[in-house]
Amino acid sequence: MEATTPGHNRTGAAVSPSEIQRMQDAVNTLSPPTPISTRQFDTERLAYIADADNVGSIPPPASLVKGTLKKGLARLKGVSPNLFLDKLGERIAFERTGTRLYDALISKYLALSNAEGDVLPPAESVFDAAGLPGEAPASAAGETPLETLRRIRAEELGHFRMLCDSTTQLGGDPTAQTPCADVIATASMGLVQVISDPRTTMAQSLNAILTAELTDNAGWELLEELAEEAGQSDLADRFSQALGAEQEHLAIVSGWLRTLVTDEAGTPAV
Amino acid sequence: MTIDLLKDTGTPLAQQRMSWKEMVGKPISKLDDDAFTRVRIILMNGLELDSLRTKQVALRMNRDARVELAQLMRVEQHQATTINWLIGADHSPLETTIGYEQAAIEITASVAELEPDTYLACAYRYALLEDFDHLYRYSALLDRLEGKDANNIVQGYTDIVPARPTILHHRAPEHDLLRPYDSKAALATKLHAVTLTGAEFQTHDYYMNIGPLYADPLARQLYAEIASVESQHITHYGSMLNPDESVLEKLLLAEACEIWNYAACVEQESNPRVKALWERFLDFELGHLQVALKLFKDFERRDPAEVLGNGRLPDFIKFKSHREFVRQTIARETSLRKDGTQFVNERDEGRSSTAYRDAVNADGSPSSAVSETYSWTPGTELMRADLAA
Repeated sequence: MEATTPGHNRTGAAVSPSEIQRMQDAVNTLSPPTPISTRQFDTERLAYIADADNVGSIPPPASLVKGTLKKGLARLKGVSPNLFLDKLGERIAFERTGTRLYDALISKYLALSNAEGDVLPPAESVFDAAGLPGEAPASAAGETPLETLRRIRAEELGHFRMLCDSTTQLGGDPTAQTPCADVIATASMGLVQVISDPRTTMAQSLNAILTAELTDNAGWELLEELAEEAGQSDLADRFSQALGAEQEHLAIVSGWLRTLVTDEAGTPAV
Repeated sequence: MTIDLLKDTGTPLAQQRMSWKEMVGKPISKLDDDAFTRVRIILMNGLELDSLRTKQVALRMNRDARVELAQLMRVEQHQATTINWLIGADHSPLETTIGYEQAAIEITASVAELEPDTYLACAYRYALLEDFDHLYRYSALLDRLEGKDANNIVQGYTDIVPARPTILHHRAPEHDLLRPYDSKAALATKLHAVTLTGAEFQTHDYYMNIGPLYADPLARQLYAEIASVESQHITHYGSMLNPDESVLEKLLLAEACEIWNYAACVEQESNPRVKALWERFLDFELGHLQVALKLFKDFERRDPAEVLGNGRLPDFIKFKSHREFVRQTIARETSLRKDGTQFVNERDEGRSSTAYRDAVNADGSPSSAVSETYSWTPGTELMRADLAA
């Protein structure tokens, strides 16, 4: 693992001013600037959007397939059952991928700590730095950073399984890929690329996990609201608990990242 | 470093083994490595893949050489893997595309300068102006879709301006053909044609694979359009190759071509780790040539010197900016067109090309749409002072 330090970066115009001047001379001769218009680009986009199919359909509830829709989704109030299933599918996909992201992050942490010693502070010490109200949760007390990473990973997995159970209770199929699950997976592709790249540092990987945790927090908030609105108080309670755990994950990841970039610049962790 | 194709034996084929971890080494740095390291990687991956392709065709056409061909192909496969896996995962497919077009431009320009046959030299310059224009169109897409500056890939070596507009590249198939070189052509001429055919094949296949990965409809259209032109370029360069060469003669040329290009890479590589790889693979290819020489002598009963001459390698491709040469070519030859195998003025272009072009452009031109009003600006066009915030 190498620190991110100043070096022979060859990008940018300042690296070779004379060559850039010659490129601009060519531009001025062969494609001189005129007022920018992306009208044709925009027109194509609009036309294709207007004519597009969707990415796919929401799988019908298993109970509907069997023709016995007596409980579960049928009892939802005020929320479209199909939309609710789609958003459950999205969180299932995100928590499942989140578990795998933490697998990759733990590998990165182990490689770094094996070579450099522990570079992350204990999770309980970062709560103030993260600016969260309240005390550090009891779950973080006395934990090493590795224990915290493994606990977060276990909680992501737990959330995934709880969502699978909830979906099954409602008559849905937790193994199906809903449209929102597909779209969130597409959006997450870059996160997987960053964290699984051996060249990226712990801080760069934490930055990617931060993106995931921010999205995850917003996703749980929405799902809890939907469950409340649908009159599913049991589900809403479960989702609220998950949201609490995710808020803690966000605070820890954010705190670790802040610590690394403020205190550890120039080390292999950053 | 002086190589004699008829004497240097390299690494014996039986000793050319690589583990998966050797094949999957550290990638280059998109940010820190020189753009020409990436250009060489793209070129040599293309040549390895074309060497595989040539041997697969040979396998279908030659009963005698089946075992040796299979053995050679296994090593070429692993060489191609090792080289192609040097491209780092932080290259978006579009950034790699910019690298492909830069490779096409600078390699074709060098070959055009080296080519002793004036007709074929014109053919290289002709397609050069088209790949050069592709760089401009893709740079506009990179800027407007991903918000990135293509110069961070080309690193000041290659201009980003239009040449012969892509909308005009679409010719009827009969006008893509060229007159092939003959058996008496210089070895340089043969190696140039094999090199460019392989490079274009790779570019075409890359665009065909990554085109559908884009979500944006205009990006999908642009890749469809330019992949079609690259397919024309395969025909353009592939039709330079003498169709009267035997399969084993083509095998001999393919191996000589790899040696010639690896030797050029060794001579000019700036990254020590990548240079060591070029040296290793140069020795591999000299070993492959030994196999090809034996097949040629055993089954064709011909003297390899008929094909390889005195065994000396022609002058190498120069991995450097050809800015002035390209600018002069743009000024003189942008208006050239094709009529059969001839290069002609605009008014004399083969008529079937006009009809073909009207058909494919009937619903609009992706390359024109994506680059509407585009002028390359350092840091992307969003840096332009006249752009309203």
